[in-house]
Amino acid sequence: MTRADDVHDPPELMRDSLDHCVKCTICETQCPVAAVTPLFAGPKYVGPQAERYRTGDRSVDHTLDYCSSCGICTHVCPQGVKIAEINSQARAAMKKERGMPLRDRIISRPTLMGRISAPIYPIVNWTLGFRPARKMMQAVLGIHERAPMPVSAPRTLRRRLKKRGQSPPGSRGTVIYFHGCSAEYYEVENSLKVIDVLEHNGYRVLTPRQGCCGLPLQTNGLFDDSRRYVRRLVSQLQAPGPGIPIISSSTSCGLMLKREAHEILGVDDPSLADIGSRTYDVCEFLLDLHDRGELRTDFQPVPERVPYHPPCQLRGHGVGTPALELMRLIPGLEVEESGAVCCGVAGTYGLKKEKYDVAMAVGAPLFEKVRGMEPPVAVCDSEICRWQISTATEVPAVHPVALLHRAYGLS
Amino acid sequence: MTDAVVIGAGIAGLTAALRLARGGATVTLVSGGLGGLQLSQGSIDILGYAPGLVGRPLDAIDDLAERSPAHPYARLGSGRVASSVGWLADSLPGVFTGDPTHNMLLPTAVGVARPTALAPPSLATGDLRDGASIAVVGLRVLKDFHPGLVASNISRVTLPDGGSVDATSAWIDMEARPGEADTSPLNVARAMDDDAFRRRFGDALARAAGDAGIIGVPAVLGIRQPGVWEALCHQVGRPVFEIPTPPPGVPGMRINTTLTDAVRAAGVRLIMGGRVVDHGGTSSRRGGGATDAAGRNRRFPARAFVLAPGGFESGALHVDSRWNVTERALGLPVSGPPADQPIVQEDYRGDHPLFLSGLAVDDSMRVVRPGTDDPVYDNVHAAGGVIAGAVRWTEKSGEGIAIASAVAAADAILKELS
Amino acid sequence: MRSLETDVVVIGGGATGAGVLRDASMRGLRTILVERVDLGQGTTGRFHGLLHSGGRYVISDPHSATECAQETDLLSRIAADAVEMTGGLFVTTPHDDPEYADTFVAGCHATGVPVEEIPVAQALREEPRLNRGISRAFRVNDGSVDAWRLIWGNVRSAEAYGGRALTYHWVTRVLRDGDRVSGVVCHDGISGEDVRIEAGFVINATGAWAGQIATMAGCHGVEVVPGRGIMIAMNHRLVGQVINRCDPPGDGDILVPVRTVCVIGTTDTRADSPDDLAIPRDEVQQMLDAGEVLVPGFRQARAVHAWAGARPLVRDSRVSESDTRHMSRGMSIMDHRERDGVSGLLTIAGGKATTYRLMAKNIVDAMCAQMGVDRPCRTADEPLAGSESGVGIAITDRLRDREADRLDDQIICECELMSRTMLTSLLRDRPSVAFDDIRRQLRLGMGPCQGGFCAYRTAGIAHDGEHGDIARANGLMRMFLTNRWIGLHSILFGDQVRQAALDDWIARGTLDVEHLPEADALPSRPAEVEA
Repeated sequence: MTRADDVHDPPELMRDSLDHCVKCTICETQCPVAAVTPLFAGPKYVGPQAERYRTGDRSVDHTLDYCSSCGICTHVCPQGVKIAEINSQARAAMKKERGMPLRDRIISRPTLMGRISAPIYPIVNWTLGFRPARKMMQAVLGIHERAPMPVSAPRTLRRRLKKRGQSPPGSRGTVIYFHGCSAEYYEVENSLKVIDVLEHNGYRVLTPRQGCCGLPLQTNGLFDDSRRYVRRLVSQLQAPGPGIPIISSSTSCGLMLKREAHEILGVDDPSLADIGSRTYDVCEFLLDLHDRGELRTDFQPVPERVPYHPPCQLRGHGVGTPALELMRLIPGLEVEESGAVCCGVAGTYGLKKEKYDVAMAVGAPLFEKVRGMEPPVAVCDSEICRWQISTATEVPAVHPVALLHRAYGLS
Repeated sequence: MTDAVVIGAGIAGLTAALRLARGGATVTLVSGGLGGLQLSQGSIDILGYAPGLVGRPLDAIDDLAERSPAHPYARLGSGRVASSVGWLADSLPGVFTGDPTHNMLLPTAVGVARPTALAPPSLATGDLRDGASIAVVGLRVLKDFHPGLVASNISRVTLPDGGSVDATSAWIDMEARPGEADTSPLNVARAMDDDAFRRRFGDALARAAGDAGIIGVPAVLGIRQPGVWEALCHQVGRPVFEIPTPPPGVPGMRINTTLTDAVRAAGVRLIMGGRVVDHGGTSSRRGGGATDAAGRNRRFPARAFVLAPGGFESGALHVDSRWNVTERALGLPVSGPPADQPIVQEDYRGDHPLFLSGLAVDDSMRVVRPGTDDPVYDNVHAAGGVIAGAVRWTEKSGEGIAIASAVAAADAILKELS
Repeated sequence: MRSLETDVVVIGGGATGAGVLRDASMRGLRTILVERVDLGQGTTGRFHGLLHSGGRYVISDPHSATECAQETDLLSRIAADAVEMTGGLFVTTPHDDPEYADTFVAGCHATGVPVEEIPVAQALREEPRLNRGISRAFRVNDGSVDAWRLIWGNVRSAEAYGGRALTYHWVTRVLRDGDRVSGVVCHDGISGEDVRIEAGFVINATGAWAGQIATMAGCHGVEVVPGRGIMIAMNHRLVGQVINRCDPPGDGDILVPVRTVCVIGTTDTRADSPDDLAIPRDEVQQMLDAGEVLVPGFRQARAVHAWAGARPLVRDSRVSESDTRHMSRGMSIMDHRERDGVSGLLTIAGGKATTYRLMAKNIVDAMCAQMGVDRPCRTADEPLAGSESGVGIAITDRLRDREADRLDDQIICECELMSRTMLTSLLRDRPSVAFDDIRRQLRLGMGPCQGGFCAYRTAGIAHDGEHGDIARANGLMRMFLTNRWIGLHSILFGDQVRQAALDDWIARGTLDVEHLPEADALPSRPAEVEA
């Protein structure tokens, strides 16, 4: 196998962190998957413990396939063991050895799915909502018939932006909006709200052409393809010029740029480091503005009581829960933290027919909380988690920025 | 800029954050991961051995302070220890029972009658001070609790007043999760949250315990649902008590949840998942901490700092391959073992100088240069395991030092802020 | 006193003694092995685990090189269950004499040691952590060996031929019948009784302790100087193959991946007694520096355990340098009939684990010649017990096994993936084992946590078994924790300090093992020496 020079051997980087493991079990107690099924032996077992027995080319412990890659284990580890990253690499080795189901190849390419469905969105949405079609997808592709699937928007973000026109020059500066591929095809309205809110706060928002960050490929173990995707994205985001902050409204895709492309895929590239160092989650960015006294707080009351679920991938950012603090600035809005660990879907995990029940069990405490509050909307930063929450609870789920948008009187 | 940044999410960091926030300060708590509370025995130790068994911990603190001026308790004094522990217990209503002036004796999972000051009621019910007739009952799916070992040893204990314990043991064969022969105390506790499971367990427990007056079980009686222990006692018609297991320790997890919720409710900003890697400021004051968040370091400017990252177990105190001892977050000078001597003894049971090392502090827990009263920085305080001078696991003094130093540090900061 | 009668007594439960037991048993001789403590508790259990390709000796000891090459090839087949053929590399680091490489290759060709030079880039691809400054790399047929599996494989094979091994049998007397050695008296450390074993022949295979046994038989002046070497096990395999410095043999010139760890070795210092082997701090530093040469960043990696072994270096004051009868290079066989006028006793010392079988063959040949028995050695012809399938050790073995039984069994030692069934089967077979004996056979407590989580579980299970009594369970647990520390205190830095502190929080803090009711005396057994 040939490798680009700027790819270090990822096992070397992450594998060495297994030395920090003191077997304390903290990761095991926080793992949402191990909590609901013994089929997953738990993060300590498949992570630092099993790693001592692995060679990188022989895969004998298939329980690790039940890891959902939610990353909580790494987040809670007080010793700095890169548990989830070790697992991701081991799973990639396993898939390389055992081959990849067709399903994983399709669901790990959202741009491909999006492009296929965009021109014919009503048919696609009809098909996805149609039980016999979903049963066929489950049988042929292994995508669970009740798994959450995104609803294609009538027009892509790019077409809407074209119609919307260029962002006016801002009083505070310029930012690049990294919207992620779900925004392009599915989360179009939400993306426009992010742009509105940033503009409202005095920023000119550039939205260069951008592809997929490669994250779904990575979580499904397709590292080579994933590296290609992320490199292309990095050069697209560099195009508007140096030093411009990059704002992401997709928690997981932002994390890919900040951390995972380096730590899991082993891409050791100064341009990636540059992009990562100026990528901000949108709520992180807005709360930083607030901390500096620069956030506009001309909020109108939003007299509602809503549940907020901080997605797993947000933890990886290491920024706390900025959305919660922002929403608490809105008068009248009562926000309750979900207290749940994970919604279960973890990217593409909950779509797979053999994982669907596990994912639903993982998400059960969250769904219970959301249903119990009978809220008008549930709030969550991550789009796939929102799809999961609304599919499971029939409560519509929105990005925190949607509430800010409303409070600003922009919607 | 916040008033205070607390580094560390163990009992010391959480206590400091709570005290600061309740005192009106704006607080950010940063931690490298989840704190160590769930690795503990889930009670509040003040002083258990000095080195003989301690019955009255506060009195023993005063003796210890005279004998060992380098001990953290010599700085804190029994009065501050008592008031701090009392304040924390009052801040978490219903969590702890007991009296800081007297140690109870709670059975451990190897059957030692272990001294501790305050404990959750489900543990405190196992207090052996007055002797007892106990049935110790384990679950076969739980490899971390062996009732025979507990019962055999506890029967051999001689109590301070000469009393004794009569103990028997039994197993219950009950899966916590179908198809799993090897499970964790936490998974059993999750199963106990379910009423039907708890009732089945209660029936089996009543049968297994024979006519013992009191029943000891591993600490697995529920994790999210309150009232599991009470319901079980009611069901079997006898007092039941929990014995803490090695990690994961369910009693510690419960306390961690309650305390973290209280900290959050007090308005503390919690940032988990960043190691403290950097700081800035002048030669006399630190201006900010920073963590290695994703993508870039994230700065936390603050007026004052409480460093409560734990001791050697967390890596906050680090030993390099040439046996140099350092403090890793802020690079503060360490009161360490003598450079020309081995840091530990060859005998496991020996006194290991390494585990007495850490940061030196003044009466307000400000970090000072070892051997002096000169603050390293005017606004950097320490709390908990990072402070030099005590081998906590031997003395059974971990929580007492942590809580008292956290409160002392917080109060000193609040005073300066006002 | 119990009495037994047999053809041959072998003293010493290392690789050589076990090899002799098997060899003699296969030749139809009734043979009993006696070992003062547990099998493999001496030198065999305290080396770095290298199965020599022979490359190390091609210049300094060409005869040994050839023997190693042949025996390694043989053992990879007949002792597969104890062997992992990892392969090995000799690499010229920036610290090595570049001239040596050509000499080395010529030596390999001359001695029949297979060698192949590979491009440096390929070596670095295979071993990404290796020093990127290496200038040449040579592939050799190195492997690693689980010494305890090797010994037990020999013993189990011997048992099929009627042989027996008695552990915890300390020889207190060597019996003489005039000029003839007629057996031994042992103290059974478990039952506490003495055992008299009458034998036609006694083989002294006690390595560094050989002088003590020879003296008991009235044969004086057998001086075996313990050459102390320290080794450090690192938490995981930093390399997948054995890495040798391509330089004349020196300290810290080898890194051996064995089971879950890799071992850096070793030093060589004369010690006063094989029972008192220090692990000096300066030698630890020397090994870490040596590790840095092979794998940059070595000092940041986690050391989990250190130990010292005693090479038996024979200095026989009564045998002239020219007397090489029955002597193969690297191993010495002492004929006490010629040397001391005492028949029925042979002493063997020296050599290396790789050539244990050959040593056993040579001494049993010599013994048969003295006994007038003409039966050929057959130890090369059939596999050891457990090695019948010919499948060697793979690093993945236990992960695969636990994948299969994880839901139906419990994992007691999580670091080393030792299941409860493995433990209870051993406790059934050997009810009197100490935890360190379990460690040698099943790797209990050999991983990163060093007994922090498993010692307590094992005590509970041992106490639950029908043989458990509480004083014994307490004593065994405490002894295990105390013994683990012997291998920890000298390498307590970096991540292992965190572990030691957490282990103390659990053992002393939560469990309070220090205040267990005072242990009744354990069954008398010699002080455990740590491996």
